[in-house]
Amino acid sequence: MIIFEFVLIIFLVSIFAGVFGSIVGLGGGVVIIPVLTLLLGVDIHFAIGASIVAIIGTSSGAASTYVKDKITNLRVGMFLELGSASGAIVGAAVAAYANSAALELVFGVILIASLVPTILKIGEEIPKSPELKGLSKRLSLKGSYPERDGKTIEYNTTRPAAGLIGTAVAGVLSGLLGIGGGAFKVLGMDLGMKLPMKVSTTTSNFMIGVTAAASAGIYFVRGDVNPLLVAPVALGILIGAAIGARILLRSRNRTVRLVFALVLAVTAVQMILGALGVTV
Amino acid sequence: MNLKDPESMNVVIGNVLRYGVLLSAAVILFGVVLFAAANGTSDSSTMLRYFPNQLPHGIFPVSYQSLVGGLVEFNAISWIQLGAIFLIATPVSRVLISVFLFAAEGDRLYIVITAVVLTLLLFSMLVTPFIPGFNA
Repeated sequence: MIIFEFVLIIFLVSIFAGVFGSIVGLGGGVVIIPVLTLLLGVDIHFAIGASIVAIIGTSSGAASTYVKDKITNLRVGMFLELGSASGAIVGAAVAAYANSAALELVFGVILIASLVPTILKIGEEIPKSPELKGLSKRLSLKGSYPERDGKTIEYNTTRPAAGLIGTAVAGVLSGLLGIGGGAFKVLGMDLGMKLPMKVSTTTSNFMIGVTAAASAGIYFVRGDVNPLLVAPVALGILIGAAIGARILLRSRNRTVRLVFALVLAVTAVQMILGALGVTV
Repeated sequence: MNLKDPESMNVVIGNVLRYGVLLSAAVILFGVVLFAAANGTSDSSTMLRYFPNQLPHGIFPVSYQSLVGGLVEFNAISWIQLGAIFLIATPVSRVLISVFLFAAEGDRLYIVITAVVLTLLLFSMLVTPFIPGFNA
């Protein structure tokens, strides 16, 4: 009987993770990994394997809605995937030599630091649209999305390099640790490229599936993708992502940013604790 | 549908993602039903044992042969694994189809960008797991 309750807990937690993950543009690993390891005593490697599946589920499950409703910026997503896809390969190549603990500490501290500009922007509904010039213009990195009241919001972007750095860091982290990348994608687009918050989180959500898929092969071959965990995680996360996508469509940008700031703080603390040897 | 219309890209990509996750969920659910039928409520916690010194690390097989064999025999684990593979393949198919959608729009710059992303992605998924020294 132990298995039934075990699977049920994972399923319910995954629904919750899918709702939050799809709104803030991250994968939900921030919720799933500590529940699996701390509460249920699952080995961290299986937890990371389950988290990879969760990220892909959150991404594809919510993106089908976001893309059809034209909130995701497809060109920004495709362009920034250049960063995450190359970053994932670099992460895999240096995994044997890199000091993961030191990297987690560095990136955890960067996330803490990025809380400051994120909190300073709390309350902002639509950013002042920058002038479209240079590479952003050449790459048509602009767009429009429908707001809750039916109005169409037009926006431009700036500093594509900042976005690319964000996704490259996300890719390296994903290749090295399997986790923690989504926050850097959102930050690159929000603080760097000046996209509206909902466009940033939904475009991040669109990309995280590809980043996680890039690292999924190795986890599968290693036997880290455990079917007993995959089944409840995938089914729960897909239900959660469908719910989360509907919530985001009705949310204000400022609400999404507030939730993102909270998740950002938790992610940062987790990474720093992980670096110090506390697995959460 | 006129693929030259930029709006059609949202519809096609949205559908690829939607049907990808629905197919994956259906296959995983089928695996769960098989699992319940085979194991009932018996304790399956040995499935969660992790062996750091052997590959694969779990007690469930991950080879192509065992997967195909298991599917034919309606093995629950194999069907759940197939569902996971469909889930992993969904974003990959989305990138692949985007190359053609940008081609239909005649956007050369984005054909190149998306083709490069696809190449990097396939290299990372299918090649790097077998390069010695990678992912160590």
